[in-house]
Amino acid sequence: MAMKGFVRNFPPLNILSEEDIESVHRGMLRVLSTTGVRMEHKRALDVLEAAGCKVNRDTNRVCMPPALVEECIRRAPSSFPLLAKDPANSLMMGGNNLYFAPAPGQNTIDLDTFEPRPATRKEYYDAVRVLDYISTLHFFTTYTPYFGYAGVPPCMGMLESLAARLRNASKAVVVGHSHNSERFAVQIAQALGIEVMGTVTAAPPLTYFEDAIDSAFTLAEAGMAVRITGAPVMGASAPATLAGSLVSNLVEVISALVLVQTIKPGTRTMLLDFAMPMNMSTGAPAFGNVAVCIHISAFNQICRHYGIPTYNADGYPGSKRPDYQSAYEKSFRAIFTGLSGGSSRPLHGGVYGELSHSPLQAVLDDDIAGMVGRYLEGMDVNDETMALDLIEQVGPVPGHFLGLAHTRKWWKQEQYIPHSSDTLTYPEWLQSGKKSAVDYARERMESILASHKPMPLTDKQEDDLERVLEDARAHYQKAGQISSDEMTAYRAALASY
Amino acid sequence: MALNAYTRRFPALEILNEEQLEQIHQGMLRVLWTTGVHMEHRGALETLERNGCVVDYDDWRVRFPPGLVEECIRRCPSSFQVKTRDPSRSVTLGGNGLHVLPFPGHHTIDLDTYEPRVPTRKEFYDGVKVLDALPSVHGLWSYTPYFGFEGVPPSMCLLESMAGKIRNSGKFLTEGYSKGSEEFCIRMAQAVDAELCVPCLLSPPLTYYGDAIGAALHGADAGFPVRISEGAVYGGTAPASIAGALVSACANLVAPVVLLQVHKPGTRIFLHDFTFPQNMTTGAPGFGNIAIGLHAAAFNQIFRRYGIPIGNGAAVPASKRIDFQSGYERAINATIFALSGANFILMHGGVAAELTHHPLQAILDDDICGMLGRFLEGIDVSEDSLAVDLIEEVGPVPGHFLNKKHTRQWWKHEQNHPHAADKLTYPEWEKVGRKGCMDYAKERLEDILTNYAPPPLTASQEEEIERILEEARAYYKKEGLITSDEMAVYRQGMRSSRYPYE
Repeated sequence: MAMKGFVRNFPPLNILSEEDIESVHRGMLRVLSTTGVRMEHKRALDVLEAAGCKVNRDTNRVCMPPALVEECIRRAPSSFPLLAKDPANSLMMGGNNLYFAPAPGQNTIDLDTFEPRPATRKEYYDAVRVLDYISTLHFFTTYTPYFGYAGVPPCMGMLESLAARLRNASKAVVVGHSHNSERFAVQIAQALGIEVMGTVTAAPPLTYFEDAIDSAFTLAEAGMAVRITGAPVMGASAPATLAGSLVSNLVEVISALVLVQTIKPGTRTMLLDFAMPMNMSTGAPAFGNVAVCIHISAFNQICRHYGIPTYNADGYPGSKRPDYQSAYEKSFRAIFTGLSGGSSRPLHGGVYGELSHSPLQAVLDDDIAGMVGRYLEGMDVNDETMALDLIEQVGPVPGHFLGLAHTRKWWKQEQYIPHSSDTLTYPEWLQSGKKSAVDYARERMESILASHKPMPLTDKQEDDLERVLEDARAHYQKAGQISSDEMTAYRAALASY
Repeated sequence: MALNAYTRRFPALEILNEEQLEQIHQGMLRVLWTTGVHMEHRGALETLERNGCVVDYDDWRVRFPPGLVEECIRRCPSSFQVKTRDPSRSVTLGGNGLHVLPFPGHHTIDLDTYEPRVPTRKEFYDGVKVLDALPSVHGLWSYTPYFGFEGVPPSMCLLESMAGKIRNSGKFLTEGYSKGSEEFCIRMAQAVDAELCVPCLLSPPLTYYGDAIGAALHGADAGFPVRISEGAVYGGTAPASIAGALVSACANLVAPVVLLQVHKPGTRIFLHDFTFPQNMTTGAPGFGNIAIGLHAAAFNQIFRRYGIPIGNGAAVPASKRIDFQSGYERAINATIFALSGANFILMHGGVAAELTHHPLQAILDDDICGMLGRFLEGIDVSEDSLAVDLIEEVGPVPGHFLNKKHTRQWWKHEQNHPHAADKLTYPEWEKVGRKGCMDYAKERLEDILTNYAPPPLTASQEEEIERILEEARAYYKKEGLITSDEMAVYRQGMRSSRYPYE
């Protein structure tokens, strides 16, 4: 049984005309066939050359013929299942479903000063537990909740993160790639009898380095789902225009899709849009800018046209604290993904950029996700909901609808009742000590931490997980990526919780 | 010349299918014909009867034949201009234009405690000045920024509010009515060569009292546009189901449309959806609830089909503070209003429900408007913006776009540029003392109050406004609506050497 997620019951928002879509598509085909992409991977070049691409071995450049590109787009399934540790939490990506994931943050924050600092192992595991509890959060994406925790060497960050999510949560997981960590992630998934969705990440413009392509081969050959990431910075690694960065982003993600669909046709593939505008005067990333919302809406529309599920990766506010600014910046992203037919996006817990995350923020974001999800359900229009007989029976003033069976039956279904918001009247609010959403969220977070017990791994799964982790630790130590000092600190961190 | 509204350059969001639209239209026609509407205005009933409606004078009930309803809907202009005191700020309501207006609050708030209190005259006038200065405020709504100010007797609140807006702003105006105040408001607008949008406010379900109908007819007779406002509560004064609340809103709003279009065909009308749900367990109004966005999008879709300009008023938070909750409550519903084709939205400055307003909030909301406005413009897809030649010229890594003419030419256009948002990196943020959007908004507020001057009235316009106010004061005193004690306090507030501005 798949976790339902949110379902959009009306047509999506279309901000591009048919002609606009055609222009972007044509631009993408032209760049793929004439300029091509750089793929630093001999085996990939062999595979693609055999499939009809033109390959230049000196520059590692591969030009892709339009017919092959269009054929590979058709090979990707428009909708696919992704199995979770708890089968009830499995997903059906694509179509008119929308799923939310947590927004990653490198560090946690101090809730009084809002300053970032690395999370401890306990904080990491607790944050996963909070995310496991929140029902509007449907799966875990890479680097969530934090990039790692104090004491973990960088090369083990992703694997320790995966382990925490498997131990303290039962939802579907996406894993990144770093120093070929995806190989161990796939081993963990196979040993535990679950699936992971892996990633293939471009280095814009138009470039894939060896580790990304290695990940593509490992995942496709293991039969895992693949998420392809383009992350252009508009004005730096992509044109400053929305249309131009759409073309270049599509070239990047579709070129890897061609590779994956050539390695193993039918591979479950998801395309990720993480376009980031930049303030070209200061060089600062323009987190929170509405250009991102326009970009994702257009990207989602084009990918719906192709029939490929999407992930909108830009859930990141420019504000450094949960305040008015961060709320509108997050809300814009969530509602535009929902309305424009995106399949999934990060939302919960991200505080600033990709740099900080907090479980308190995740609890607050649960209500944004709930509102967006309720919106997508739309409204019932039938004799009972139109209530014509009732309107006529009640008539003008002093008629009213209070106390009627129809009101009792329908009112809750038509609304979204938030968990952590101030919905009191003024007098009640004054009486409550002027509590705010942050106060309610803190209470809710503490209650979740005190009571939520995630679905445990079986003893065998726990042993298998730990065994692969130990293999990975040994591998990276042998490869010189974990020094003795780092290993000592790492072991201490592991023993801390 | 007219003020540039935001323009939506792609099809509006539609959440109903054709069949659902038809069902709701048919439901509205049925309610208007079989149940009808209570209108406590003899002249209106006589006019409607002459035009084919069935009238029951004993219980003020009027039933509207479907043919007449549809004919009157067709008579409404789908888009029209409204004249303003400052001609460069006139507005054209309708079509794919979006205007944003402030949201009223009964009181101002203390920014440290968030407790409400009555504003002073100066705070009221400063509040208007800030709204006039913000480019994303396209006009001024009734009861804005506050319901009145210290010392003003209730019967004079709307008139003092109107005067405050005329003196401190050249933008589009609509003002409420109470005890015949619309007549004085109309004269004030005429004195500055502006048009006033006179409201006609429903008392749901299906009821209009005499003052509402009187105000609408006065406005139409003066040749001014009329706005009809619906403020039903689902589960209280409308069905708890959104589809039922929609049928009821359509019947409520279209009844005076018929009256106005038979009274004076072609009258410029715009409709205002200010419905919201109720928590039926606690009785608290469901401000900030997503049901508002569902109702509004469907409402906008129905009236775009009818070709009558529309707007949504309920993007107002339930939170009592300016915080994370109020940010998402406002942003989500306002976005839905804008995408579904609203011609106006009430937004700036409203803090909690209709109870509090603050200019600092208005400054924060200016940035939400900037985002919405930029989104509505959509994407330019042209040879230049697609930049295929440039992508090919730059090629793979280590190619980049940083120093390209194309980047310099386009980057600003593609983004929104907030005034009061924290856009710094972490190290920069630490260096400036961890400033947040509230700090930036405070700085902008102080800057506007220090440096901005609204377009002034001429001396004769000032005199005429004060003369009309004096006439109204005398009228309401004579009517017994201002006691001598109230008048003494009221006059006390007019003794400043900088009266009327402080």
